[in-house]
Amino acid sequence: MTTTAFLLIGLVLGLLVLRQPVVVILGAAAAFCYAVIGDGKIAWILVDAWEAANRELLLSIPLYILAGNIMSRGAMAGRLIRISQALAAPVPAGLAVAAVLSCALFAAVSGSGTVTLLAIGPVMYPALVGAGYPRPFALGLLCAGGTLGIIIPPSIPLILYGVMTQTSVTDLFIAGLGPGLLLVGLLAAYSLACHWRLRTGSWNVREILAAFRSGSWSLFMPALILGGIYSGYFTATESAAVAVVYAMLVETLIHRELGLRDLYSLVGETVQLLGALFPVLMLALSLNVFLTYEQIPEGLVRNLSGWIDSPTTFLLLTNLLLLLVGCLVDIGSAILVLAPLLQPLAEAQSIHPVHLGILMTVNLEIGYLTPPMGLNLIVATIAFREDFWTICKAVVPFIAILIAGLLLVTFIPELSLFLIR
Amino acid sequence: MSAAAGVLLAWLARVERFSAFLAFLVLIAVVFLDVASREVTGTGLHWALQIGVYANFFVVMLGLGVASASGSHLRPQFADGWLPRSWEPFVGRVQQTLTALFFIGFALVGLSVVAETRELGERAPVLGNLVWPLQALIPLVFFLAGVRHAIYACFPALTPAVASALVPGAE
Repeated sequence: MTTTAFLLIGLVLGLLVLRQPVVVILGAAAAFCYAVIGDGKIAWILVDAWEAANRELLLSIPLYILAGNIMSRGAMAGRLIRISQALAAPVPAGLAVAAVLSCALFAAVSGSGTVTLLAIGPVMYPALVGAGYPRPFALGLLCAGGTLGIIIPPSIPLILYGVMTQTSVTDLFIAGLGPGLLLVGLLAAYSLACHWRLRTGSWNVREILAAFRSGSWSLFMPALILGGIYSGYFTATESAAVAVVYAMLVETLIHRELGLRDLYSLVGETVQLLGALFPVLMLALSLNVFLTYEQIPEGLVRNLSGWIDSPTTFLLLTNLLLLLVGCLVDIGSAILVLAPLLQPLAEAQSIHPVHLGILMTVNLEIGYLTPPMGLNLIVATIAFREDFWTICKAVVPFIAILIAGLLLVTFIPELSLFLIR
Repeated sequence: MSAAAGVLLAWLARVERFSAFLAFLVLIAVVFLDVASREVTGTGLHWALQIGVYANFFVVMLGLGVASASGSHLRPQFADGWLPRSWEPFVGRVQQTLTALFFIGFALVGLSVVAETRELGERAPVLGNLVWPLQALIPLVFFLAGVRHAIYACFPALTPAVASALVPGAE
């Protein structure tokens, strides 16, 4: 068994060195497992992958991604920013608070950290710098604010976790709200503490009314998605379909920001992303079936139970592991591979599967800001035309804030679970 | 030869992108119609989600080709510097050859799965349709992806610049 494990690790490392994509690495690992550990029939991988693709819940992923892409390309983000700015004007560090609120509002419709950064960042960055905020602060705040996209529901990583561990996506979405608001609060509080002297102005009733008039269609979107899910009126998939149709109608017929050619290009971008993500998801689910059939997670729990003797040890080790993984691997691949392995370990320590899902997402959210693979760092170099190293330095205090939030989410499970209990 | 291969790849990418677009429209339409029907008539369309699942299957399988064409497959890059820099052109070819072999290997496995499903006459539970014609997309898409990466191995100049799949519009 030890030789087999070493051979498998060697195969994965060899493929990594030879720059293979995750789909190839996972497919080769699955083929190795089925051929060497299983009954030798590799065809099961594709049979299981086909079964994996046949899940209605998965329909929500392409739909949320497309909705987010439509909104980031159209005018919705700008209108949400205008509302946030109008409301936060008299607050100390009002513009920075408005940036955080805009990220949170956009996160509530997009489900993606990079889309949120791309939608809010290019508008807010020059505004923040122009208003006197130091450049590194503005960069760090927007990169960190963008990561809210994956914890505030709807969230693609939470859907992936739900699919991999058979946990209710609706429960995960409800649970994501508390930690999401906590992180919004922490980022806003830090902005306030650093720049309380910077004030934009006072409330201007006329501007507030104008902002709401121009942004009412955009503002209705999070209410429609989250309200529909939380009230039980829509399932996650139905809510995603409604979000796409609503976004298309608003951006093409009301805001008139997008034409049919734009929609074709947006669908193309979404297809490209799905083509990268879904085959990995299908193979990961196939590998998961194999692991369960061979009772490998149970064996893992047995072997590690000597090392992990309390929930606190498990939570601390999990955080360390995920923070490290987040530096090296994208969030989707990390959840697809690690969630089915960590869940039985968590269960053995009486940790709620929903709490684990939130914990994994917040951990990997921090991975968006940590080099070398921090996705928001890479996106920010393109979006803000700043040097990668400058952005890495700018996000350091924000990583500390997010880690503080992570520790609160880790050791106060009620932050995640109070709405579902 | 390289120019002809480039034309072939561009044509293939256009067909894949357009077909995926049509499948995506079907996906949006059926899921939304299901909700709308429930609101208007009080009952949903029992077939809608199954059609949606098939449409999504088309989208993601065709998307595999689109991802290959745009160099946007998810790939951990932390080990990229582990081999000497002087090996660079050789490693690039090996990378594409391995990917091509993987996809062609899985296309062959896919063929055997489709043949077995066809022999068993397996049908889908909700719609009652034969499953194998849909499954046949798996070996076809894997085979085309294999051919695409084999062309990249032969003509490295045609390899797309690496784009992050998670960054819309970064291709």
